[in-house]
Amino acid sequence: MSPQLSLKPFYTQRVEGTTIPDPIVKDCYAVFACRHKFCREVCPVYQDDRDEAHTSYGFHSSLLAVSKGMGTVGDLRESITNCLECGACELRCPNTLFAGDFYGSSTTTVDLVRKVRRDLVAEEIGFERYEEIVSYIDRFLGYFTGPEEELTRWAEGLEIPRSGESILFVDYFNAFETTDVPRKAARILQAAGADFGILARPGATLGELLDISLETFVEHARHNVAQLEAAGAKRVIMINPHDYTYFTRDYTAHLGELPFEVVYITDVLAELLEEGKLPFTGETARGLLGKVSYHDPCTLNKICGINASPRKLVASLPGVDFVDVSPVAQWSYCCGKGNASFKKLHPDKSYKIGAKRLQAAADIGAQQLVVACPHCQDQLTDVSSRAGVPVSPVHILTLVAQAMGLDA
Amino acid sequence: MAEAITDVQRGFEAALPELVAALGPEHVLTDFFHRAIRTTNASPMGLHLWEKLLPDVVVRPGSTAEVAEVVRIANRHKVPIVARGGGAGLADGATPLKRGIVVDIKRMHAVLEIDEENQTVTVQPGINMQELNKILRPLNLWYPDDPASYPVNAVGGRIGSGGWSLLGAGYGHVPDLVLSMEVVLPTGDVIRVGNGGARKIHKSSTGYRLKDLFLGHQGTLGICTEATLDLAPRPEAELPIFFATESYADSHRIIGALGRSGLRTIAGIFMFDQHKVEFLRRDDEAWIPLPSWVKSAAATILYGTRAEVEAARDVVFEIGGSLGGKYMGTEICEGDWASRHDRYHLAYHGRANGQIKLMSWSCEDAAINYSALPKVTREWHRIAADLVAKHPEHFDDWGMFTYTNGPFRAWGDYLTEIDIGVNELEMTEEIWRDWVQAKVDIARISVRAGGSVSAAHGGQREGEVDVSCYEELAEGQFDLMKSIKRMLDPNNIMNPGKYNLDEAYPGGES
Ligand SMILES: Cc1cc2nc3c(=O)[nH]c(=O)nc-3n(C[C@@H](O)[C@@H](O)[C@H](O)COP(=O)(O)OP(=O)(O)OC[C@H]3O[C@@H](n4cnc5c(N)ncnc54)[C@H](O)[C@@H]3O)c2cc1C
Ligand code: SF4
Ligand code: SF4
Repeated sequence: MSPQLSLKPFYTQRVEGTTIPDPIVKDCYAVFACRHKFCREVCPVYQDDRDEAHTSYGFHSSLLAVSKGMGTVGDLRESITNCLECGACELRCPNTLFAGDFYGSSTTTVDLVRKVRRDLVAEEIGFERYEEIVSYIDRFLGYFTGPEEELTRWAEGLEIPRSGESILFVDYFNAFETTDVPRKAARILQAAGADFGILARPGATLGELLDISLETFVEHARHNVAQLEAAGAKRVIMINPHDYTYFTRDYTAHLGELPFEVVYITDVLAELLEEGKLPFTGETARGLLGKVSYHDPCTLNKICGINASPRKLVASLPGVDFVDVSPVAQWSYCCGKGNASFKKLHPDKSYKIGAKRLQAAADIGAQQLVVACPHCQDQLTDVSSRAGVPVSPVHILTLVAQAMGLDA
Repeated sequence: MAEAITDVQRGFEAALPELVAALGPEHVLTDFFHRAIRTTNASPMGLHLWEKLLPDVVVRPGSTAEVAEVVRIANRHKVPIVARGGGAGLADGATPLKRGIVVDIKRMHAVLEIDEENQTVTVQPGINMQELNKILRPLNLWYPDDPASYPVNAVGGRIGSGGWSLLGAGYGHVPDLVLSMEVVLPTGDVIRVGNGGARKIHKSSTGYRLKDLFLGHQGTLGICTEATLDLAPRPEAELPIFFATESYADSHRIIGALGRSGLRTIAGIFMFDQHKVEFLRRDDEAWIPLPSWVKSAAATILYGTRAEVEAARDVVFEIGGSLGGKYMGTEICEGDWASRHDRYHLAYHGRANGQIKLMSWSCEDAAINYSALPKVTREWHRIAADLVAKHPEHFDDWGMFTYTNGPFRAWGDYLTEIDIGVNELEMTEEIWRDWVQAKVDIARISVRAGGSVSAAHGGQREGEVDVSCYEELAEGQFDLMKSIKRMLDPNNIMNPGKYNLDEAYPGGES
């Protein structure tokens, strides 16, 4: 399992009234005290708007200023939307980088941002454009209460059991918006001879809920864990890295240790590759055009530290001309969609951040940019069609499936 | 006094709509948090002072013309105006003392021209150096200004503070690396200063050396809106060499001998004193396992062609070994050097009576001649010890570093700094006064040792500023500074209150 940044219980409790509780003041101060602002320079939002209010330093210091009576949390309703929840600043902060383990003191900007957004909603102040998030959540929660067979329609014809020691966890975004991703994952696992099942009725794993309603998020978390246990899961394979962070970071924070192992699909496939169970026939590498680079999804790379297995898979594809950018250099990149709500809150900034990411790939001569996340695929496909940058995004599972001669 | 504040407020109220008209509402920020986060720079201020220092507005201009317009508005309405770059300075330069307008220049971050043949680059002042070098790297060019704050400073802030570089002994410091610049004067006029009137010339005998006036003025004389910088070819080889020693005296001898060795590949020499080594042993994984006889360290960084660096390495090993230094091994040398921009300070470093106490980092720097270093080091630690004894919950001695200070030479004088942890969160006015007095004492020791109050950051924080103006600059320089300030800034709008320059104006005498 990936290393986790420290989880601070005070970011999950609601702040009532105007006083900021002492542990939060101290936590904000630990960031303010440094003021080196390394966090600022690595932040993809700051790189676009160059406004230091929209950085880890900015958010922590703003809240510290609230605690000193200079303003209210309500005054942050617009600025607090300017965060992708990408985690770059957490890693770049010396509190994390140099002594996070030593003092158990890593900086947790994402938790702080979510908390402030939630508190604003609870106070009925809300934040800029938060209604968009609410209606998106409503649409997705509708799937949960809708007909059960709809939730697994993506798997039609694949004959996957509804239980097993290994469960492929398919979230609603994959199930309804990027259906080819779970289908390819399933086809690849089947072709590799892996036994696995899926849940008949998975709950919602919406990160947007962490910005709006923690209670609903945890309710669905409980449902998912119970369903997985009931299905006999010992190992849960994730195909959405956002979900991977929710399971490994947030579920454990709220529900304690999980009764099963949680793994990401690229780790599973890299393992199968090593065992010789992923036959790349070579003749099917037709999806590869020119130079190929890999985009680290923020969630996988910055929040969970998974960056080796996707590279291993890409580098092993037959005929690939792979130009890599190191995972550390990619701390300052983001596809622009953000961990949950960002694109819906700031479509323009989201587009510019995505276009910049594609341009960075073009600058190193890449024609294709491999992604390992359905949201990155969705976002970069959207951006590339508008931006005119000659780089096309392609999902890693598409390439693996093609290399194995599988058609979805 | 009350009347003066009213005047400023009235001026501000008249200026605000004009600022909005000039820049558009999205770049004129009045929310409390925009102002609060731009009140601070990177040195401790005592949170009890924060609210008093909030500016009235933050503006984010996007061009020279917009900066000039903002300055003209400020001048017309006599509203204070403070330039802000990276906001990572250590001299409180970007902290407004009299409210008014903070001009955040970070939106102006374009590279305007790269002249590969003559090795110069022309940039807007809001660009950060790491960003700039990322662009230059594919061309095998390098802007070698390398402060420990390298990833976060803006070129404009480096100019405003007349910065010092870790590699200055090899490549020069900011005043050497800035070839020319465009400056918006306090009246809104735009001028260009350089070596003579040229943009890309390193040495000229034409006219006065006015460029120097605009390097290190801490935003009191103008706002730089464009700068042409000197670039170096990327060196073929880099080699950091660290020696552990048993004493400060051994390290001091080693850095002196290295400085006088005549090696041109030396880009910097530095040493860690005993307190610094003890401090690093608190939580630094590289330093914790070192044997207990290690009390200090001396180090150098070599740059050049591979052949030059290899030859120099043998000389350095010979000098270090013969004077009691033990080579610390590749891992720690490369690791420590690689993290020079990253680690500096954590609030968790602070200790009070052996317990962790969140503290912020204060860095008191000075320029000191080689021969005076041991005495200054002893006396500074004594001041820190007295302060800690009196306020054990509020201060903590984090040790000293010393580095070569002269540009293009590794001998003569050194930047030395004492790092002190300050408990800002629990600061009171009474304890703050003791802190200010300690800074006065530290600065006074530097001047009495024949040194200068600051080598890098600026000698103008509360306390030390009086020693700078009335003791170090006493032989007519401070008087001339006041005349120049009055001439360029008739209404005292540019960063008022800094360097005691209010004394240049009627009613401002201290
Ligand atoms: C971890 C750390 C390590 C450091 N190490 C070093 C070091 O090795 N060497 C060193 O020299 N310094 C060092 N410093 C201090 C360093 O940050 C400053 O010296 C630096 O030059 C400030 O740049 P900035 O962009 O952050 O400026 P700011 O703090 O924003 O401003 C500095 C001053 O410049 C003025 N200014 C800003 N922009 C302009 C402009 N466009 N025109 C005119 N004036 C302007 C401001 O008003 C202010 O007076 C360190 C600081 C930190 C936090
Ligand atoms: S989480 Fe990402 S977007 Fe948010 S402040 Fe940090 S670096 Fe910026
Ligand atoms: S988040 Fe980290 S890097 Fe940024 S100002 Fe804070 S402590 Fe410094």
